[in-house]
Order: sequence, then C-alpha cells, then structure tokens
Amino acid sequence: MKHPMRNPWIYTLFTVPTLLLYGMFFLWPMLSSAYYAFTDWNGLENYRYVGWSNFAAAFGDPDFRRAIVNNLIFIGFSIFVQIPLIVLFALLIASVRRLRGFYKTTVFVPSIVSTSVIGILWGFIYEPEVGPLNRLLALFGAGPVYWLAEPKWALPAVLIANAWQWMGFYIVLVLAAILAIPRELHEAAVVDGANGWQRELNITVPLIMPLISVVVMLSIAGGMRVVDIVLVMTKGGPVGATEVMASYMVNEAMGINPNYGFGTAIALIIFAFALLLTSLYQLTFGRRTEGGYF
Amino acid sequence: MLLKRVVPHAVLLAYVAAVLFPFVFVLFSSLKGSNVEIAADPFGIPKTWHPENYLEAWVKAKIGVYFFNSVYLSFTSALTAALLSAATAFAIIRMRYPRIGRWIYQTVLIGMFIPGNVLFIAQYLLVMNLGVLNTHWALFLPYTAGALPLGVLLLAAFMKSLPGELEEAAIMDGLSSAGLFAKIVLPLTLPALVTVFIVNFLGAWNEYLLANFFISKDALRTLPTGMVGFRDAFRTNYALICTGIVYSVAPVLLLYAFLQKQIIEGMTVGSVKG
Repeated sequence: MKHPMRNPWIYTLFTVPTLLLYGMFFLWPMLSSAYYAFTDWNGLENYRYVGWSNFAAAFGDPDFRRAIVNNLIFIGFSIFVQIPLIVLFALLIASVRRLRGFYKTTVFVPSIVSTSVIGILWGFIYEPEVGPLNRLLALFGAGPVYWLAEPKWALPAVLIANAWQWMGFYIVLVLAAILAIPRELHEAAVVDGANGWQRELNITVPLIMPLISVVVMLSIAGGMRVVDIVLVMTKGGPVGATEVMASYMVNEAMGINPNYGFGTAIALIIFAFALLLTSLYQLTFGRRTEGGYF
Repeated sequence: MLLKRVVPHAVLLAYVAAVLFPFVFVLFSSLKGSNVEIAADPFGIPKTWHPENYLEAWVKAKIGVYFFNSVYLSFTSALTAALLSAATAFAIIRMRYPRIGRWIYQTVLIGMFIPGNVLFIAQYLLVMNLGVLNTHWALFLPYTAGALPLGVLLLAAFMKSLPGELEEAAIMDGLSSAGLFAKIVLPLTLPALVTVFIVNFLGAWNEYLLANFFISKDALRTLPTGMVGFRDAFRTNYALICTGIVYSVAPVLLLYAFLQKQIIEGMTVGSVKG
C-alpha cells in the first residue's frame, strides 16, 4: 500500500501556490532587477544596454552621495545613541518588579503603529505654528523653529521620530534576553560583593552581548531600509537634507520622468551596501560576541 | 535604599510619558474645535468637546472607505498567507519527500534576507505587466507573497515539534495526508497560526510604500496612504487630521490590548530569526 504521507498530488497542491507567489514576487524581481539595472529602460518599448553607466551616474550624483551619508547617519544614530539607551531602559525594566508588565506593554506600542501615521503625527508635533514642541519653546520665549523646513533641523527631527517608533521594540527584545539569564548568576555576584551597577555591567551586559549584536545587525538593516518616514515627513527635503537611498530611488524611478533602469541600479546598490555592512560587522565586532544564542 | 527604588521608576515613567504623550495629544486635539484652540492650549483637555469631527472625517474625508479597504486587504492577505505557509510547512516537514522539502525550505528562506524596498521597482513592473496595477490585486499579491518566508519559517519550526505518532494514528484512521492536515495538524498549529496571522495582518495594515505607488484611485486607497492624502488635503485643519490618526491607530491598539502576547512574540521572534 502506498504511504499516505507520500502523495505527489497533495504535495504539489500544498507547495506550488507558495512557490509560485514566492518566485513571482521575490526571485523574479531580484533577477529582473539585475537585468534592468544595466539598461536605460523608462517604461517605453525601446531600451538599450548601458553597462555600468547607471551605477556611475548614481555615485557621480552629489544628491545620491548625500543620501548614502544620511543612511549611515541613521545607522550611526541607532548604534551609538539608541542602543545604549535601549540597554539602559531594558536593564531598568528588568530591575523593577512592580509595573514591569506595564512598562513592557507600553514602550512596545509605537512599533505596531503604521510608519506613515507616525510621520503624520510627528509632523504635527513639529508644526511651526500650532505644534506642541514650538508651543513649549514659546513658553520660554524661544522659537518658532521650522523643524522640518530648515536643513539643519530636518534630519535630527526625522531621526527622533524614527527612534521614538522603534526603541520600544528593541527594549522588549533586550529585556527578554536579560530575563532569560539564570538567577543564580546574580546571586553569586551578590555573594561576591558586587553592587547593583557593577553587577549589571560586568555580568548582565556581557551575557546579553549576542542579542545586542543581533540588535546592531537589525539596526544596520533598518538603517538601509528606512524610507516611509522620510517620504511622509519631508519627501527627502528640504534640499535633500533628509534624502536616503531608498527615497532617492523612489523619487528618481517613480517621478514624472520614470527611469526604471536607474532605479533598479539604486536598488542593487542598497542591497550591496546592506550585505557589505552586515558582513563587515560580522567579521569585526560580531565575531567576538558569537555565542549561538539563538 | 528608598532612592534606589524610586530612581528606576522615575526614569521609566518619564520614558513612558514620552511614548504616550503624542497619542494623548492627538486624542485631545481630535476633539477640539479649531487650530486656534489647539495652539492656545496644546497640552490641555478640550474646553468644548467636538465629537462631530469623527463623523465629518469618516464621511467627508472618506476615512470610512480607506478603513474598509485596509480591513479587508489586511484580513484576506494575512489569512491566505497563513494558510499557504501552513500547507507548505506541512508538506516540507511532515510529508515524506525530505530532499525536495529541504530544497523548498532553503529557497523560501532566502526571502528573509532581501530588504523589502530593494524589490520595490521590479515588483512595480511585475504588477504593471500582470495588468493589475491600480487594482487591489496589486497589493494583495505582494502582501501575501511577502508574508510567506516568515510564515513558512515559524510554522515549519512548530510542525517539527508535533509528535511523530500523528502519522501513525492518521494511517490507522484511514486519513489521507490532506485529511491529516485539515483535521489534526491545522487545529494543533492554531496558536502559531494566530501569531503568523497577526504579524501578517499588522504588516499589511501598516504598509505604505507599495500602497502609495501601486494604487492611485482614491476609492481603492488603504489607511496609511489615504491618511497622507488626507493630511495634504486638510493641511489647515489639525483637529480633523488627528481624527484620522485616531481612526487608523485605534483598531491596532484594540487588537494589541487583547493579543499583546502574540503580537510581541510574533514580531520579535520574526525579527531575530530573520
């Protein structure tokens, strides 16, 4: 008798729809991007092979180089400003017993809200005339500051809105790792006479390093991916002050004069950067912290 | 000793206040009469209450239309992706084709490493060539497809943990593999299926980039893009814009109130595995 777990028809029925959708929306776009990136296709019938000129044009454009720097600023801000705060807040939440559930539940909230809504919401907070931030400054006789219209303020303003959205998510992630540490380690440290913060720095932080390493990787990926909040809050302006690679790509490819060949070249550059940065991190700092945590 | 117990709470409550303030501010503003009132007292509760803003936004600004588009697109794509992932996970983990199963698993997992916006233009060209640009298919298909890698990953891990005696029992009862899937495995997988569904649902509910460029008909817009259009149209009426924000945030918060454990687990596990 044939084994019921070997039925090619059922197997096909169960896997082919998934493979078809996946192939269409992941594999095919990847392959077609690699093809279009070397053409000057703009949506019309005729296009030609242009070699590496899309890539050369991108790196030759000061606006794009500015966008690369802004992506790096997003990543740097996550790693050097957000992550220390994330670890601090996670340690604080882990240190209290009362209200722990409340803190965890509340700080996570912004990460389930749509980025576009968060962009609108923070746009209102930064609004020069009626926005609460400037109303607050006015109490001290300062302002009004045109947060999103002045090139020097726009990027910090977007960075803060972005940090506000994602910090809670990572706090919960780090908190879970801290709470997974066996209690005995802490008790041993108490016996050894370590005080509160010595204990956290010398015992807890090294133990959660593998997870912090994951958070760094996710921050790099997130910093390369960032686009929604920029499009909603500033569209990359004023004068390119908040442009990131993905918003540059969207603005170039989907504008009035679409240029899909150029756009897909940018997409591949973003992909290459993401791979490069994550492998660089893995080869330098990441390796030291590898511990097979997950 | 007292100081040691108070300081962490003081710092954390300050942070919680920073997290919650924008939401409270938007809620109060949505019930205020005008920009003048918001500007005069941005932090206070409304002096006169204007719940009619909610009716006005729902009807005049078509929030109702965006809302239903978001609900049914998120629901159908999340459900389809969850069921397809479950069927595929079942086939590659429980059915006896180990070599091809491993191959499918590895192929689908590659998807977890490709950042979404890298595929954006190629996906745009694809839906254009399929002739579905400016229809809800243009979002349903990529949303469903986009949710598959994580769904297969999580459900495959779950199905691996189900006891091997299942198959024996099924064979004794004369069930086919499809019957085993539908009658036994699917009900057992329900907790993981719920997690996968929620993560898919939130992803589709919040998605902006594709929704903005693949749909240009106003009647087909979803909340994230509809809201941005709404903001640009009513730039001067902040009370009404805040009403729109409340409409798009409230359902998610409600879902979160009941399913926070699944939501947190689904989102965090997904990110770490990816």
